[in-house]
Amino acid sequence: MKDWRRFCKLVVGLLRELADENAYVRYLKAHGREPSGEEWRRFSDERLRRKYTRAKCC
Amino acid sequence: MRLLRHIFWLAIAVAAAVCLGGVALYRGEHINSIWLVLAAACTYATAYRFYGKWLATRVAVLDDRRATPAERLRNGHDYEPTNKWILFGHHFAAIAGPGPLVGPVLAAQFGYLPGTLWIVIGAVLGGAVQDFILLFASMRRDGKSLGQMAREEIGKLGGFAALVTVLLIMVIMLAVMALVVVNALRGSPWGTFTIAATMPIALFMGLYLRYWRPGKVLECSLIGFLLVATAIFAGRTVAESATLAPWFTLSGMTLALAIVVYGFFASALPVWLLLAPRDYLSTFVKLGVVTMLAAGVLFVRPELQLPAFTRFTDGTGPIFAGKIFPFCFITIACGAVSGFHSLIASGTTPKMIAKESHARPVGYGAMLLESFVALMAMIAASSMSPGVYFAVNSPAGVVGTAPAAAVATISGWGFPVSVADMTTLARDVGERSLFSRTGGAPSLALGMAHIFARTGGGRALLGFWYHFAIMFEALFILTIIDAGTRVGRFLLQDLLGQVSKPLGRTSWMPGVILSSGLIVSAWGYFLVQGVRDPLGGINSLWPLFGIANQLLAAIALCLATTILLKTHGLKYVWITCLPLVWLVTVTFTAGGQKLFSRAPAIGFWAQAGKLSAALRAGPVADAASTRTLIFNARLDAVLCGALLSLVAAILLDSLRAWTGILRHTRKTALSEAPFVASQLRAGEL
Repeated sequence: MKDWRRFCKLVVGLLRELADENAYVRYLKAHGREPSGEEWRRFSDERLRRKYTRAKCC
Repeated sequence: MRLLRHIFWLAIAVAAAVCLGGVALYRGEHINSIWLVLAAACTYATAYRFYGKWLATRVAVLDDRRATPAERLRNGHDYEPTNKWILFGHHFAAIAGPGPLVGPVLAAQFGYLPGTLWIVIGAVLGGAVQDFILLFASMRRDGKSLGQMAREEIGKLGGFAALVTVLLIMVIMLAVMALVVVNALRGSPWGTFTIAATMPIALFMGLYLRYWRPGKVLECSLIGFLLVATAIFAGRTVAESATLAPWFTLSGMTLALAIVVYGFFASALPVWLLLAPRDYLSTFVKLGVVTMLAAGVLFVRPELQLPAFTRFTDGTGPIFAGKIFPFCFITIACGAVSGFHSLIASGTTPKMIAKESHARPVGYGAMLLESFVALMAMIAASSMSPGVYFAVNSPAGVVGTAPAAAVATISGWGFPVSVADMTTLARDVGERSLFSRTGGAPSLALGMAHIFARTGGGRALLGFWYHFAIMFEALFILTIIDAGTRVGRFLLQDLLGQVSKPLGRTSWMPGVILSSGLIVSAWGYFLVQGVRDPLGGINSLWPLFGIANQLLAAIALCLATTILLKTHGLKYVWITCLPLVWLVTVTFTAGGQKLFSRAPAIGFWAQAGKLSAALRAGPVADAASTRTLIFNARLDAVLCGALLSLVAAILLDSLRAWTGILRHTRKTALSEAPFVASQLRAGEL
């Protein structure tokens, strides 16, 4: 049961990482800010700008 | 306990040898796919446990006491220590594209065995080694890119050649991927409607994320997925409607132009509006479908219908011309050895590794998983009736446009199929015809649909699963086209910026439009060339793509060899030299044949010569088209020659560097970041 819970936690962690949601939480924490639409847009613009300067694999 | 562990691993190693040997030597009627799965799984486990561990401890000498760039340069953006299994999934999602799915399907024309052996052995001894060493090297150099490392460790020429090769590969890759989508959607109103519906869905998702529910990416992706699934169901109604179906029944050329226009807008529009939401959605769909496929294969355990070897090992294959050596090893790049992985292994991943020892599961392990995905694709293709497989994948230029002529030709090859079989199958999956649907995507979708239908829904849901698979393939291929065009635009703006400063500014709209237009025109030209090609385009473009991808792997392995030579002298260079020598042999043989073979089906110059002779001999049906085909064949030859020359230059530069290192006439110091003790505790992740 404990292993199963740990596995589920890992899967959710992976999905949140892929969705950039974890990165957003880290960003808010690092800058000491509260979540808001404006903050998300600021974070997302910077994140996506970096992300799409790199090639995607075939 | 230790003895038990030894016995366990010995049993796994013996099982790997027995299963691989059994698969390789078995020549009975049919073989169950579970043998391939077992052979691969036991080989991967043994390789990961012993070879991977040896590479990590003896060759790379990973040290968890040493702080990684993620810890030292932690900034909450790029550099962030991440849980190893989350990073494993992240890295896997980044390296697994359509390549490992499409390549094995095309290579199945030689039979299931050559491709399977190459996928398993190539990944264990080549692909995973390349990914691991590159990841390790980049991790020790603050997450530097392949180009930067090549410049520092080999020389300026290596760095420049890597950059130009990447740009050329991207142009070919975008064209060939777009061609796969065009061939999958040509004359298919159901598929075209579903893919068209993903555009407004992506725009909706973009607005949803930006303004309505900022930051709720998972929630938004779930809504997007439900909308796409609804679109797949609605697609059947559209295909059956006399009014709507003609709107979505498009020719290859119309689809190609639509994708070119789409690529332009996706590159020029704000990234949050179209590209990013689709990318999120396609990543989740990709991971879900790959898991479903693996589970489906294990549950259904289909029998392989294709023989171990077909008669086309002699080079007369209808899907692409050329003998098993070297073309099998060019056709399957991703899934065995893929140069593109070196860009990922020296991109985001090294900046997120928390502990050095994580490089083994992430670098070596994720490549093994991708190889497993390629094997699933091979099983999906090989479990189809061979007659159906060749009817779907053979271009009309080879088997004829009339169904009766096509089945006669294919049955004549020893793979019986009838018009009635193909008509029933097409009706079951909601298509008008499945003849000559080249490119690999439709046949992979058929194989996947059969596996999914046998796990749930039966024949009644075959059409849904087929279009689900087409949607899945097209969705993430289009994401690669969006992102690739954008990246190509940035690379080009970098170059244009040297000539005129404003052209280099990524926020200056005329510069954005000009560079987007140039990149789209470059891959669009090759796409249109593929659509016009009477042999379906895949025949010429896929080998070019394979050659380009493997040449990039050769560059990465040159760098890896240089690093090993500087670290250990000659002791361990065989680790990267063996795959390097193999890849150089394969790619230069294939490249040489594509350039100089006298067979017009293989050699670009021979093809141009044959068409020119036909033009000179007298009036041909369409002189203008023939002239275009001649130009295209010559252009492909020039491109192929340019790629080979670039890599030859890097090889010579590397050889010069290696000689210098061995003679001590060149500095042997590595450009690694200095040692800093790690303060990171395991509980922090």
